[in-house]
Amino acid sequence: MKSFRTYLIASFVLVFLLSSCMEEQNFDQYEDLRLRPTYEASILYIEAPESAIDAVSSTTFFSRDFNFDAFSESVFAERVRSGVITYEVENTTNREFDPIFVEFLDETENVLYTESFYVPPAPTAVLQREITFGPGGENIDIIRNTSSFRVSATVGADSSTSDLSDPKITLKSSGKFTVALK
Amino acid sequence: MRFQKTFLATILLVCGYAHSQNKQLLYDFGEVPQSLMVNPGTKIDFKWYAGIPMLSGISLQAGSSGISANDIFADDGLDINDKVRDRAIGGMKIKDELSGTYQVELLTGGFQGRNPNNFYSFGIYNEGDAIGYWFKDYAILAFEGNADYLDKRFDLGHLKTRGEMMNVFHFGVNKRMDDGLVLGLRGKLYSSILDFNSTGNRGYFVTTEGQNNLLASTLNADMQLRTSGLNALENAQDEGNLASTIVKRGFFGGNLGVGLDFGFSYNINEQLVVTGSLLDLGFIYHANDVKSYTLNGSATVEGIEIILPSALSDSDRDFWQDFVDEVDALVPFEDNSESYIAFRPTKLYASLRYNFGKPVRSRLDCDCNYSVSSNKGSLKYANGVGAQIYMINRPRGPQTALSAFYHRRFGNIMAAKATYTVDKFSLTNVGLGVSIQAGPVNLYLMADNLLAYQNLAASQYTSFQLGLNIISWGKN
Repeated sequence: MKSFRTYLIASFVLVFLLSSCMEEQNFDQYEDLRLRPTYEASILYIEAPESAIDAVSSTTFFSRDFNFDAFSESVFAERVRSGVITYEVENTTNREFDPIFVEFLDETENVLYTESFYVPPAPTAVLQREITFGPGGENIDIIRNTSSFRVSATVGADSSTSDLSDPKITLKSSGKFTVALK
Repeated sequence: MRFQKTFLATILLVCGYAHSQNKQLLYDFGEVPQSLMVNPGTKIDFKWYAGIPMLSGISLQAGSSGISANDIFADDGLDINDKVRDRAIGGMKIKDELSGTYQVELLTGGFQGRNPNNFYSFGIYNEGDAIGYWFKDYAILAFEGNADYLDKRFDLGHLKTRGEMMNVFHFGVNKRMDDGLVLGLRGKLYSSILDFNSTGNRGYFVTTEGQNNLLASTLNADMQLRTSGLNALENAQDEGNLASTIVKRGFFGGNLGVGLDFGFSYNINEQLVVTGSLLDLGFIYHANDVKSYTLNGSATVEGIEIILPSALSDSDRDFWQDFVDEVDALVPFEDNSESYIAFRPTKLYASLRYNFGKPVRSRLDCDCNYSVSSNKGSLKYANGVGAQIYMINRPRGPQTALSAFYHRRFGNIMAAKATYTVDKFSLTNVGLGVSIQAGPVNLYLMADNLLAYQNLAASQYTSFQLGLNIISWGKN
């Protein structure tokens, strides 16, 4: 009788140990999980002192293509969904810039997009501009296909010298992009 | 490399929901021979035992200190993105861990020596162990990015993980001393199949207002991932001989190490027993098939910078490539094959136990019968109650668990042990273990966190141990 009771207890314990429940789970939700982080960083910084501008006799004092592979790298190009490029142009020289062009070029140097700035001589406010790419803005494919920038600047005729210390023109830019990691 | 990434991800995700290897039910459970593996100084009264190969000891533990599957995958109508953001990204802390372990005994046995006070045990078991702490800042970067986190330093030290798989060859001695003291010592030889660890990472990534340009991005990194065996397994998978490579590396074809277990049981008086053990005090020296990766240095960048007129002196200059090369030089990502030592996660157990109730007649022959011995602590009682402590050395410092237990013997046929355990994973962990003796056949089954079985998906910790042995109390 004692053995029977012992085995009965053992059976009860085993059944208890082996039985379990689980609330209904929906692992298909994983498909709805979206990883859409937004990253930001600086892109391009150009600085030209007034002395360098004065040294050029042509009105197009500057024109140059800059290779920029970050956008066209597949790890970025295949995932980017939207973005904003911010520009900031500050001029403390006596020269007028009309215009400054920032052109987005693809691999075969076709112009995909052009941003132009008119910058009056100092004193003038810092020019700020934000361009949206993706929904509600420019076509995001411009970003995906950009592999270089062409920056060119045309100066006005006035060649007087600024009395400010270290007069120069600067072009700053940064990008904020949302990418689909999943 | 793809195999390595997949493997590491699999280890972290599959084993990821496992818990540090506290075997509070098995500890000091003298009716089960495998209790010698958690305290080589456990009081036992076998003449000999032999484990059924591959079935004598199987244990698997699963859990998570920060989140459960139910928190994310419950069919509750909530958006999974909100759940991940609120419960994982926002809810988990860097001390929350995803860790796991399993053990499978391949061979085990034990026998009493010519001196009946000595008992020898030996065996081979396969063990896997992995831990990953919640990499919170990496998760924020992956889920939200750095755009709204100006001046926040994303801590690269949040990546803290290690894992290993090995065969362990062991031989132990359990010696009954005078006056109620039992001492135990076990020597171990580790044959590592694979190992990876990345535990000493330091550094940060931060985005700040730039000096020249609009933003400055700074990476300051001192990071390392060390691996051994992964390349061999990757090649073996490509060549279709993965299983034989695992077996080969597990039987001295990989990397070797040594370790020791210590343990004791001492009867303070006839009914009060104190025990303790220190396990896996050892290391593995990794020199075979080692591949380590480092990211070390500091760089602050503000995009491509062109300062006229000097920047235009070279009309062919590739500013982008210069930018990439500069960052690569300042923060180089390198690999090497330097050997390294990995210490085992050392475990500590201790308990205080009060025995009471009717003494149970021992199955030993009369010349060794505790019940007729005058030796202190020689009687076995029907009941035992007490407390245990468990500690394990982990990358973020020791983890502790406290258990209260009740041990009950039902004659010599059955014994059961119930535990209530408090640790960082659960405050409601009730466990139950049963050992059944049918003639010479011993079957044990132990399960933890039984209350969580009402909804396994919501459980942050689940574990079980089971095994099958042949035990003899007869003469040699």
